[in-house]
Amino acid sequence: MDMRFTPDELAFAAEVREFLASELDPALAEKNRLHQSLTKAEMEGWHAKLHAKGWLAGNWPREFGGAGWTAIQRHIFEEESAKAHAPRIVPFGIAMLGPVLQKFGSKEQQDYWLPRILNGDDWWCQGYSEPGAGSDLAGLRCRAERQGDHYVVNGQKTWTTLGQHANMIFCLVRTSTEGKKQEGISFLLIDMDTPGVTVRPIVLLDGTAEVNEVFFDDVKVPVENLVGEENKGWTYAKYLLTHERTNIAGVGFATAALDNLKRVAKAQIHRGKPLDQDPLFAAQIATTEIELMAMSTTNLRMLSVAAQGQAPGVESSMLKIKGTQIRQQLDALTRRAYGGWAQALPMETGNQGQPLDADDVLSATANYLNNRKLSIYGGSNEIQRGIIAGTLAKG
Amino acid sequence: MDFALSDEHRMLQDTLRGLLARHQGDDLWPALAEAGVIGALLTEDEGGFDGSGSAIALTFEELGRAGASMPLVAAMIGASALATAGQGDLAAEVAEGSARVAFADAEPGTRYDRGVAISVDGDRLTGRKTMVAGAEDARAIIVTTADALWLVDAKAEGLTLNAYPLMEGGRGADLTFADTPATRLGALDDFGAALSRGILGHSAFALGGIIAASDLTLDYLKTRKQFGRAILEFQALAHRIADLAVEVEQARSAVTNLSGHLTAEPAIRDRHVQACKATVGRVARLVAEESVQLHGGIGMTEEYALAGMIRRLLAADTAMGDADYHLERFANGEPAWA
Repeated sequence: MDMRFTPDELAFAAEVREFLASELDPALAEKNRLHQSLTKAEMEGWHAKLHAKGWLAGNWPREFGGAGWTAIQRHIFEEESAKAHAPRIVPFGIAMLGPVLQKFGSKEQQDYWLPRILNGDDWWCQGYSEPGAGSDLAGLRCRAERQGDHYVVNGQKTWTTLGQHANMIFCLVRTSTEGKKQEGISFLLIDMDTPGVTVRPIVLLDGTAEVNEVFFDDVKVPVENLVGEENKGWTYAKYLLTHERTNIAGVGFATAALDNLKRVAKAQIHRGKPLDQDPLFAAQIATTEIELMAMSTTNLRMLSVAAQGQAPGVESSMLKIKGTQIRQQLDALTRRAYGGWAQALPMETGNQGQPLDADDVLSATANYLNNRKLSIYGGSNEIQRGIIAGTLAKG
Repeated sequence: MDFALSDEHRMLQDTLRGLLARHQGDDLWPALAEAGVIGALLTEDEGGFDGSGSAIALTFEELGRAGASMPLVAAMIGASALATAGQGDLAAEVAEGSARVAFADAEPGTRYDRGVAISVDGDRLTGRKTMVAGAEDARAIIVTTADALWLVDAKAEGLTLNAYPLMEGGRGADLTFADTPATRLGALDDFGAALSRGILGHSAFALGGIIAASDLTLDYLKTRKQFGRAILEFQALAHRIADLAVEVEQARSAVTNLSGHLTAEPAIRDRHVQACKATVGRVARLVAEESVQLHGGIGMTEEYALAGMIRRLLAADTAMGDADYHLERFANGEPAWA
């Protein structure tokens, strides 16, 4: 056993830190640290810097213009980026659609769409969930009917993250109601500017509007925008979800959140002393830090298996559960560290007033509320437990 | 033993339910005052006609169930403290609803210490209080410092008000004091009775929210279908709603304990103050987090009723010391108000 990174990996980590130090605008990092919504231009600007360096698509093979990183390199990049409060790479084109097109798309689709993802010509969003199809994703009903050289799409998608910025959406649509529900699903690429597409924002309980509903009313989609074969979309969808679940442990985000919590606990006064000297509160921070230490190594153990070419299975479900529990606990402790000060939320719009000198407090409160989503999205933690138990039962 | 409401209190409950069904927001306060609800929270000495733990608990539980956001806790603490300090005229006006007072307790930069951000020099205050509910509508502010309670006129010199929305739904403010004249009402522990009622008010308000959120969640689990059946039929979810039901009863009993010991000798009362806020705060957070999780995405949307309930539950835990604050003092055997 050797728990150390190799000299090459250490050199790579140093290169990532150097890049972040020189290219990441401190004002953008600060905005990101406070979990404030970034503008489309800010996110695109960061993508462009990474693309110029050849680092935008660390997960893609070199033949498609990716960096061809190992799982360990990707982990190092994500962890260093999170610690530096760099914007996270918007995952829909790079992490989700890219791998699907590379594995199942036609040559024409690969040649056309993949460079556009890297260049920032398209902003993709994900059309998976529907009001009636959440955990039961295969129960989706958004319909696509073949009419000559195009499909006509009718139905609704929801929880479409950053869909307000997108010009393209990849959708799971129902093309057949015969047989098992998984067997009548197809994977379609839809231009959001097509007549009949409507995007409506969903405001969340922390006041942010990062998710949307997307409605399709007789939307015409050229048949060449079908990925792979008709009615085989479920296979592609599942393949995409395994990519959605890379970096699922969120070690970098948790490490950044722990650093922030410790900073807050040092500054907040409790019984006349810094809060981090309070045995009750310090024990709660320590408990979470110890959990994170173990989970980081679980993550690395699993990454090193993945680096040897073995597909991760049930492990990503375990990392999803433990990773989200740790991040939510860190967020809860950070909010509570502020005590009676944490009773307001940031107002991104309107002129209703803000508490004085309280950006960090408002951010902690909003972030605690917003990150309740972590245990819901990407397959809720209950779904993950079902996957783990099902796998254990078979073994 | 008899835990049932008296006839008078059942009538008060009916009155409240009727008012809360008909009035919201700014309309609610005058309606409550006119119906004598503020008086029900206060003793005869304080300008009211009841002031029992039972009346306070049932009133705030109803407000919490309805999701009414208003600084009624401040009125109750204020009138009681003013009466205790010999400021009977203002107390009477608060009791009848013609004057409002705000209660300024939380401070920036500290987890529940008092006197960190605000200091006293003679009869003047300098510094800041934060998250003061209802400050814009108040004629006077009751202010806590390290060891005392003060009365400050809302128009006093050197007092600046910076208002904003609170996450519980109403509005609050940061109050900045610059050598602002104030009247010392007395030492903090002279007002244990008034402040303990504040804890009962926040706790019973949270209890109402806990019940509303668990009821809404149960209804959702019964009606939401995935995989061809109601999700309540999945045992993993059914057990979690059962666990919530058990904790709701714990929260109710913690409120009942404080309500029944509100006029006990201070040492006993304070144990119940701390136990009540520690229990209700813990359950409030649990119900908030579990309700969202059991709902899934819909539970995080502003359009759905749960969002406001969650924010009110967190606010009720946070106000006047959260679960951990009171747990620590209980463990140390410390008084609640010193």
